[in-house]
Amino acid sequence: MAEMWITMGPQHPMTHGLWTLRVKVDGETVTDTEAELGYIHRGVEKICEARDFTQITPYCDRLCYVSAMTWAHSYVMAAEDLLEAEVPERAEYIRLMAAEVQRLASHLMWLGAFGPDIGNLTLMTWCLRDREMFLDLLQELGGSRMHYNYPRIGGVKRDIPIGWAGRLKAKVKLFEHRIKEYEMLLDESTIWLVRLQGVGYATAEDQLDAGVTGPNIRAAGVNTDVRWTNPYSVYDQVDWEPAVEKPTSVKGADCYDRYRVRMEEMRQSCRMLLDAIDKVPGGANTHYQPGDEMILTKAPTRAPEGATGFSTYECTRGVSNFYIQGGGDGRGKNPYRLSIRSPMFLTIPYVAKTMIGYKIADIPAIMGSFDPCIGETDR
Amino acid sequence: MGTTVTKEQNAEAAKAAADNLNSRFSDAGIVVEVLAHTSGLAYDFVRITCAPSQWRGVAKYLKNEIGVNYCGMVTGTHYPDGGAERGWEVAYHMNRWPIANVKAHTMTVLEGEKLKGKDIPVELEIFIPLPAGESPSVPSIQDIWVGADWNEKETWDLVGIDFEGHVNMHRVLNPHDSPVGFHPLQRQHKIRYHDYNEMYDDPQGFGRKPVDEGRVK
Repeated sequence: MAEMWITMGPQHPMTHGLWTLRVKVDGETVTDTEAELGYIHRGVEKICEARDFTQITPYCDRLCYVSAMTWAHSYVMAAEDLLEAEVPERAEYIRLMAAEVQRLASHLMWLGAFGPDIGNLTLMTWCLRDREMFLDLLQELGGSRMHYNYPRIGGVKRDIPIGWAGRLKAKVKLFEHRIKEYEMLLDESTIWLVRLQGVGYATAEDQLDAGVTGPNIRAAGVNTDVRWTNPYSVYDQVDWEPAVEKPTSVKGADCYDRYRVRMEEMRQSCRMLLDAIDKVPGGANTHYQPGDEMILTKAPTRAPEGATGFSTYECTRGVSNFYIQGGGDGRGKNPYRLSIRSPMFLTIPYVAKTMIGYKIADIPAIMGSFDPCIGETDR
Repeated sequence: MGTTVTKEQNAEAAKAAADNLNSRFSDAGIVVEVLAHTSGLAYDFVRITCAPSQWRGVAKYLKNEIGVNYCGMVTGTHYPDGGAERGWEVAYHMNRWPIANVKAHTMTVLEGEKLKGKDIPVELEIFIPLPAGESPSVPSIQDIWVGADWNEKETWDLVGIDFEGHVNMHRVLNPHDSPVGFHPLQRQHKIRYHDYNEMYDDPQGFGRKPVDEGRVK
């Protein structure tokens, strides 16, 4: 049969965003692929060259609406490296909890979007119901539902509200039961297993070489996690261990392993949150005023020419990096150059190539299992 | 808890990598230094500064001898006022993550404190200053790390640095029909806020005029 090219996207449920996957097929079998990105390139890196360091945080929130808190945290860490700002320990604990709540919300959004891909619409309603619990928690911190602008260079915007700790504990404990419900729903569903098992193999070495990190590489059986190897914030002080999954084949992890590792990661986030809330310096039910030295220290606002800041951060989808050069316009108030590395920018081309040899019907399962997000990819 | 790589391990690994690189490359004029971050837990990293002609040799050594297995980030920067020697710069950020000896059907849970030698994670930063001019170029490392492929595409697309030997170079973030030679992160392209700060000078937008003013009733 003659081979032909099919264009999937930019408007296709498989893409989880705006991008195009061009697929060359021979009958049902994929023989070649090409990824086309850039549909929502907003030029954030260029915009940031004309912004003060504090004005950049909202743009970083908007890199990915599914995990805004982690992106802002990632930027703020690079800015602190550049400006040599100190962060109070209480602020580090609050940031850690905010990032982990965001990780739960992000993984739930992933699971909710992945379910309908595979034919399980119930999952979407369940996941969005539970995600809302965690968005409410983040809203109490940042003031809005998705874009929080919460981390500050040198601390956080405001302290955790009175009663937040209790609500967090109750919701996390409820959610630990909910994870079991999800697993009952999914792990015994024949459709779920048949469509995910044995599809989309990827080994750890190949993925790392191609720049794929995060849960996708941990699914292939190795606990590579920045929070564990090079801990930032206070990840070395709370009780947790990296989620890692046993790969089912010599060919590496399949889609089912990548689903399992994210479920385990949600469990670990719950464990981390329950431990961190008890260890917050100053107590979880004290409320310090905005600007108090317990939650925010005064940071320099200018960086000299030649100074650089860099952060390596375990975002919800893998390792995100910010690289900032000081000494821009306005006598060092702006970055001269700010560069953003999203894990998905390297993952999507890699995943496109791993689809070769599978069937067209496997494409949504393979793509969805890697958790693509186009906002952060195109920047 | 207790499985994290300690600061001592990290410092030791960074120093070992730097010593290794120094013993091989110090004669060639390549500068290798160990620096520390100031944020987070202030981990050490290795910074290498080399010339474009030396880059492929250094890259292969990093991959084969130092064990760098992750090419995370490539950043190009344009310095119109940087002088003849440093009109452009390419910065590579790479990591060595411990993934050695991963077996099928097993969970490899590496414990940080037990890692030794080349299994300890290290971060590297490589600066390659390029001479000023119209056509900056640096050898491609596409064939050494797969991850460098799209990083280099992006850097060429946005900054206009040419990667010699890169196969299948094309636009990735800009539209595919962008004019030849248009690379938006070069400094001659100003965004409006550089000269005219609409946000503060004219917050209500009274000074704005429609683009078709005078042409329509």
